[in-house]
Amino acid sequence: MRLIPLLYLVLTSLTVSAHPVSYKDALGIMSYNSTQMNEILLTYSLNYNYAIGHTYIREKNSEFYIPRFNWLAKRWNNEDSQGNLYLSAGSGVEKYNNTTSNVRLVEVVADWESRKYYTYLEHLYMLRDNKDNPLWQQRDDNHTKLRLGFAPFLADYNDLNIWLITQWTQHNTENIEATQFMRFYMKNVLWEVGADFNGGFAFNFMIHI
Amino acid sequence: MKRIILIIILLGTTAFAKEAKPEVKPQPPVVEAKSEAVLPQELKVGVKGMVCAFCAQGIEKNFLKQPEVSKVEVSLENKYVKLKFKEGKTLAKDKIASILKEAGYESVFGE
Repeated sequence: MRLIPLLYLVLTSLTVSAHPVSYKDALGIMSYNSTQMNEILLTYSLNYNYAIGHTYIREKNSEFYIPRFNWLAKRWNNEDSQGNLYLSAGSGVEKYNNTTSNVRLVEVVADWESRKYYTYLEHLYMLRDNKDNPLWQQRDDNHTKLRLGFAPFLADYNDLNIWLITQWTQHNTENIEATQFMRFYMKNVLWEVGADFNGGFAFNFMIHI
Repeated sequence: MKRIILIIILLGTTAFAKEAKPEVKPQPPVVEAKSEAVLPQELKVGVKGMVCAFCAQGIEKNFLKQPEVSKVEVSLENKYVKLKFKEGKTLAKDKIASILKEAGYESVFGE
């Protein structure tokens, strides 16, 4: 029983802006963490177009458990770059104190990357039935994330890849937050460490098995 | 009369000899050796969209699942995967293209 919180701590000390669909039979573990929230996304890719998944989010004393379906709607495979458009939808529950209420989500992700540059845009919309959480009154909930990055040097497949990424996020009508990340990846493991201008931290992690 | 009989015997022998000729078996070892020599021991395949090592590991993993493949080398710089095959084995281009497609990429074969 101690294993579950331990696993949770390991995963949440890890989180990332990720491809929600990977190659056939790939199992993906992604975790996005900041001082405000934690998210874990588990995915299993049925093929390179579709994946089933489960999202766990903890934010403002609420916890969300949302099974979801991810679809790679379009991929552009170019000579020196790749672009993707992903759509996701899910329905689950929000737990706040001892109450449980329904929640639905829709997410759109668009990314484009070359070996040198990286762009990522995500919009997450959640429709929450919970009216009780005083920290989170908004029932039509919107998260938007924009990321721009570049690689200071070109690394090949077996090398450690390092990227510098700036992320801007906005939650509903709150102020836009900027976070600077360093991304590292090698083969099937990727991790990011970040800091914002208010002393907050972020740690993201992703692995494909 | 003796001459006629002799001619008939000679013609008959020739006819049998002609019939026997097609039964001469081909040389299987030579044919087999030739076909084995044709199989490439390694093959480079161009891959469109392969820009990220984190994503490309799916390609490596899928090719290594194939019993014909002994080693996979990925080059992001040169945008190809090099497949090394086990002795006497190979993968058809269609199969290679299908594996790359399952990983989400497009194959490019040289002329």
